[in-house]
Amino acid sequence: MMKKILNDPASYVDEMLDGLTAVHPELYALPYPRVVSRASGAVDGKVGLVSGGGSGHLPIFAGYVGKGLLDAAAIGDVFASPSAEEMADCMRVAHGGAGVVRIYGNYGGDVMNFDMAGETVEFEDDIESTTVLLTDDVVSAKPEEASKRRGTGGMVYAFKIAGASAERMADLETVTRIGQKTADNCRSIGMALTPCTVPQAGKPTFELGADEMEMGMGLHGEPGIWRDKLKPADAITDEMMDRLLDDIPLASGDVCSILINSLGATPHEELYIMYRRARARLQDQGVRIAMPLVGRFATSMEMTGATVTICQLDDELESLLLSPCHCAFWTVMQ
Amino acid sequence: MIFNANDIQQAMARLSSAANEAKDELNEQDGKLGDGDLGITLANGWAEAVRQQLPEDDLGKAFLMISKSFQRACSSSFGTLVATGMMAAAKSTKGRAEANYAEISELLAAARDAMMARGKGELGQKSVLDVLDAVVSATAGLSNPGEMAAAAKQATGQTLDEFRDKLAGLGRARMYGESSKGLDDPGMLAFQRMLDGLLG
Repeated sequence: MMKKILNDPASYVDEMLDGLTAVHPELYALPYPRVVSRASGAVDGKVGLVSGGGSGHLPIFAGYVGKGLLDAAAIGDVFASPSAEEMADCMRVAHGGAGVVRIYGNYGGDVMNFDMAGETVEFEDDIESTTVLLTDDVVSAKPEEASKRRGTGGMVYAFKIAGASAERMADLETVTRIGQKTADNCRSIGMALTPCTVPQAGKPTFELGADEMEMGMGLHGEPGIWRDKLKPADAITDEMMDRLLDDIPLASGDVCSILINSLGATPHEELYIMYRRARARLQDQGVRIAMPLVGRFATSMEMTGATVTICQLDDELESLLLSPCHCAFWTVMQ
Repeated sequence: MIFNANDIQQAMARLSSAANEAKDELNEQDGKLGDGDLGITLANGWAEAVRQQLPEDDLGKAFLMISKSFQRACSSSFGTLVATGMMAAAKSTKGRAEANYAEISELLAAARDAMMARGKGELGQKSVLDVLDAVVSATAGLSNPGEMAAAAKQATGQTLDEFRDKLAGLGRARMYGESSKGLDDPGMLAFQRMLDGLLG
């Protein structure tokens, strides 16, 4: 039986957005039923940064609308793409006259609808736009097919770094380049202990034995690479770090940020246990960590589990990552 | 022979009722290989389109309105493919109040190419793209509506027959492997039902 605090599965997303924007009227506005924008609207002369996808991942997507981050986000039903019209409205709302960058995770339905939306606003409103797709989930396709990988925690870095670039009034080409460089430099992997339930489906997205874990699980419960008895935190973290560093080898003197992210139900306590191990691994290799992130940044409803994301930084990206931002879920002070 | 927005308005009414009639059949067929929402997607899309009053002075704007109707009413991939095809037609007819029947094959070819790019699909993968391609070839060089209708129907039926026992190679149906053999592709079947409804 589904055990959730809700009124009606069909109104889950709309009531959630109603509440989110009501708590933070100074931050968020809802110009269309499924489009969240900054309360202050588009910024004149600034490149608009938009994202979008299914609900169920807060703070992704709507949560990251804010200064130094996104200008607007289009929100679908839980784990379902928004319509192309909602995405087009989202782009119009974000357009400050300098073009729009669509920056989001590589999922088939989202890509088709966002591309359609881009074509529509170009044809109808003369809005120039570009795409940056996150393909950071290393287990979702082999390195030679890396462009087919799904996007997960890397979105957090891409929103932050491209958002900072746009906030500094960089042009469309520059914001796109920065966003793409960030996407290229991110690698993620997930693991899960328990599934989540999509309200309109009413049953868990997968089943896992009481004493089992699954390595490589996707952000919507997509199957991972192995399933076995639960291992100790250090062994789990080591395997995740090994797989990430296999895919993006870091050398002594390199700099990266690392995100230890809860998929929803896993508490901060356990994320900190993972972080100390991940930090030791990077330090052993002589890698410097800039602005580590630990917490709920990209969730999958009430799933228990965690993702680890590494974002390799050069001077340009590090400076943008450290620059200020503000939304209800994440503030970086000057 | 020429057609204008008024002709499209009347065609949409026929397409919308055809989509309604085929809704359950298409949902069921799609449910064998996918998420079972193809019938409802087309019915909702055409119902939204038929509610629009198309402008008479610009076919580009008319096709854009149809495209946007599908963008509004459907978030599933087949709806976005239809929207993509209509957008391609909008670009080809922008600023013109009329078009010639002889152009239809080219309009369909533009739609086919745009849909292939958007859905990252190729010909031969047992999808709606294959029937569209067959109809493009069958109607090329024709301008008589009766002849075009007969050629389009014949090409559609033949393509369904030709692909029935092949493996699905695109979209969710691809995951079903061998069990997709012997089943009509739901998108191809939808095209045939729409075409029959349109041409009577």
